[in-house]
Amino acid sequence: MNRDLLAFAGRRIAAAVLFVVVVSAAAFVLVRLAPGDATTDVFLARGGPTAVAEARERLGLNQPLLIHLGEWFRGLVTFDLGESSVYSRPVSDLVRERAGATARLAALALLLAAAIGLPLGVLTASAPRLAAVVAPISIALVACPPILAVLGLSLLAVQTGWLSILPGTYALPVLALALPLAAMLERLQSRAMVETLGSPDLVAAAARGVPSGRLLWIHAARQSLRPVLGIAGAVIGTLFSGSLAVEMVTSWPGLGRLLFDAVAGRDLFLAAGCALVGAALIALANLIADVARAIVDPRLRGTM
Amino acid sequence: MTQLTRRRITAVIVLLIGAGLVYWLTLTRRPAQQAVPSGVVRGGRLVATHRSEPQSFNRYVSANPAEELFARLTQATLVRLNRATGSLEPRLAQEWSSSPDGLTWTLNLREDILFSDGAPFTSSDVLFTFKVLYDKKVESPVASSVMIAEQPLTVRAMDAHTVVIVFPAAYGPGLAILDSVPILPEHKLKASFDAGQFRKTWTTTTPPADLAGLGPFMLQEYVPGQRLIFVRNSNFWRIDDQGRTLPYLDEIEVQIVPDQNSEVLRLESGAVDVMTDQVRAEDLSALEVRQGQGAITLNEAGVAIDPQMLWLNLNPTSALAKSRPWSQQRDLRLAISHAVDRRRIVDTVYLGAAEPVFGPITPGHGEWYLPELPRTDYDPAHARSLLGGIGLTDRNGDGRVDDEHGATARLSILTLKGHTVRERIAAIVQEQLQAVGLVVDVVALERSALVKELMGGTYEAAIFSISFDSFDPGGHLDFWNSAGSFHIWYPAQPKPATEWEARIDDLMRQQSTTLDHAERVRLFGEVQHIFAANLPAVYFAAPRVVVATSARVGGAMPSILSPTVLWNAEMLWLVPAPSGSSGK
Repeated sequence: MNRDLLAFAGRRIAAAVLFVVVVSAAAFVLVRLAPGDATTDVFLARGGPTAVAEARERLGLNQPLLIHLGEWFRGLVTFDLGESSVYSRPVSDLVRERAGATARLAALALLLAAAIGLPLGVLTASAPRLAAVVAPISIALVACPPILAVLGLSLLAVQTGWLSILPGTYALPVLALALPLAAMLERLQSRAMVETLGSPDLVAAAARGVPSGRLLWIHAARQSLRPVLGIAGAVIGTLFSGSLAVEMVTSWPGLGRLLFDAVAGRDLFLAAGCALVGAALIALANLIADVARAIVDPRLRGTM
Repeated sequence: MTQLTRRRITAVIVLLIGAGLVYWLTLTRRPAQQAVPSGVVRGGRLVATHRSEPQSFNRYVSANPAEELFARLTQATLVRLNRATGSLEPRLAQEWSSSPDGLTWTLNLREDILFSDGAPFTSSDVLFTFKVLYDKKVESPVASSVMIAEQPLTVRAMDAHTVVIVFPAAYGPGLAILDSVPILPEHKLKASFDAGQFRKTWTTTTPPADLAGLGPFMLQEYVPGQRLIFVRNSNFWRIDDQGRTLPYLDEIEVQIVPDQNSEVLRLESGAVDVMTDQVRAEDLSALEVRQGQGAITLNEAGVAIDPQMLWLNLNPTSALAKSRPWSQQRDLRLAISHAVDRRRIVDTVYLGAAEPVFGPITPGHGEWYLPELPRTDYDPAHARSLLGGIGLTDRNGDGRVDDEHGATARLSILTLKGHTVRERIAAIVQEQLQAVGLVVDVVALERSALVKELMGGTYEAAIFSISFDSFDPGGHLDFWNSAGSFHIWYPAQPKPATEWEARIDDLMRQQSTTLDHAERVRLFGEVQHIFAANLPAVYFAAPRVVVATSARVGGAMPSILSPTVLWNAEMLWLVPAPSGSSGK
């Protein structure tokens, strides 16, 4: 690995750390500033004003925002993410339980989507008849909100028995996340391939008699990967945001559901912890995608 | 049309027919369902759903529905409110007696009872439980519901199997107050309580072996976000009428399914046996089809006792009261009640599966319900006349009523975002109030934001509902009394703001302290008449609670109170799968 690539990776890691801290601090501040607080359940359980006041004191909600945020930062330096007001447990334990589940789901969905979408994109770019069939399906899947995709698949699973709907099984949630993503990758790859196939170097290679299979699957596919990798960050972000609906419907014990519960319950430390881990996963995936782009295209190493 | 085009069209038609055939085949290959045999069958695993997961295994720290369900399955109370009949049943206390003034209750505890870990149950566990319940450091959300006149109960042990509970004041509902007090194992929890760590005890990471209870089941496994598995507590003490030990089931699996659509799909498919919550009106027709196929059973448990309500902020110091004094007038509330067509709410929001109601007490409250109460029937003309009586008339001919200064009469109604029933009711109310000239803005807020507005008293009007955990109104003084924190239109009044609220306070004080049941019913009837005459909150409809279970579930006694089926889990049993079928 040369020095350019190392310097490039170092810059990206520093940016990723900054991104993670800013996102999680923003989650803390936004949840704290949002109307209502963690005593909602105490009120709804008819605890009365005294119980609400005691809970607010115990949770530190009476102190100013900056002091509260400072406490969280102090904990963060020592890798202590605080204690969840909802679960009365350390946030680090809770996010550790859920982050692995989300990462597994996202990774499997990404792999499946790439395995379907990228080759299909190469094929549809070179076979217009196939494109005429695949493109409308892809567009429909891309336009389909995650909640509809997962409910549609659940219905199919119930009606046919082809997929298990038991909690903890992979097929349904992975497919629900992977299919729209595969469709997006297919569209991106297909467009990139069409442009690449018309580029002078590919035309020249074809004129030199490079076999069409090699031209398509080696030369053109590699070149067309650059724009696809360029939007990998956005794609992975979409994957994580879409996972909430999938986790809710399929009972997948992931980070999205935990974050949703944390925000709904105004659990400051848990919301910040979930945002931190979610941001870290996105940053890591982006980092890998950037490094992959830099390997594919050395010209990028000095510019990113 | 060219031959090629015809071929393509033919190919598409063939494909569509083929796809249809495959779909039809998949629909018709479900195993046949078998009729439920009459005899009770032991064993098997029942699969239920719940929309939220426990935040703690400690009922005294967190009192949400998931913890309530957990406690019902794994722990036991001294007495229990039968959620289907409303009557009080012996539980850990096998019999009891009270002093003539109803203040002192002597309870004889069952002997030779063991916790699930084998330790004996004695009166010291009861004392420990009440110590925990009222401890300031514990801040238990259960404590306020086990107080009488804001004072705790006093508990002392006479011997290992006799306890005496002294009420600080006479209390009409009697020992029903103990229905929400599961008895804790002192031998497991005393050390953490003494160390001031009780709030951090029995969290969801506690190994099941460290938990112990007196309920019919024990936790075997908890997979966060996915499921809880409970197994039969072999030390459970209860037997059925024929001397068979309970529970009948070997296991209960509670799957965490946050999405209600997914929950219904699982029930339809046969993947689960019991939905924890009631069936939504929009799901009824699909489930009726499956009932016709013999796959599920729909039980109507009764009319809900927590109808949606609309109320205005009647706090005289609120911005609304100061800026729009007409908003505090009783005739405005009467006008609203007359302006809204309850039948339309029943038909469009609940798809017919509801009853129009005119007050907080619905037919679901049984003997407490007064069908002869005066009703405010749908009458827009009378509503306009009532508005005119408080100075709200259309002064500029724009179709909207204006106050005496010429300002358009306008109200903002808050409701809960994402709660489709409330949002639909709010939309109908908005439309029908606008038809009589009152301009209404509906603002949907998410839960915490809405509660902040309600707690702070910074709202104008709201549509919400208040859940009750029992039928007896004497247990809900925080709603009826003017000083109560859930006297929602003007909570925690330093002294009654109106004469009629003072009268209700007085009647409810008598009602809740009188031991003569018939007199309690009579007094509460008077309260309802006063409420109807002053209408501090307007009620529209109460849904009929329909509970769905798979057809293989036997012994269910559905209740309108939550948990609708699993409150009596020890009596549930499963019809075995027919031989040769694949089962679930």
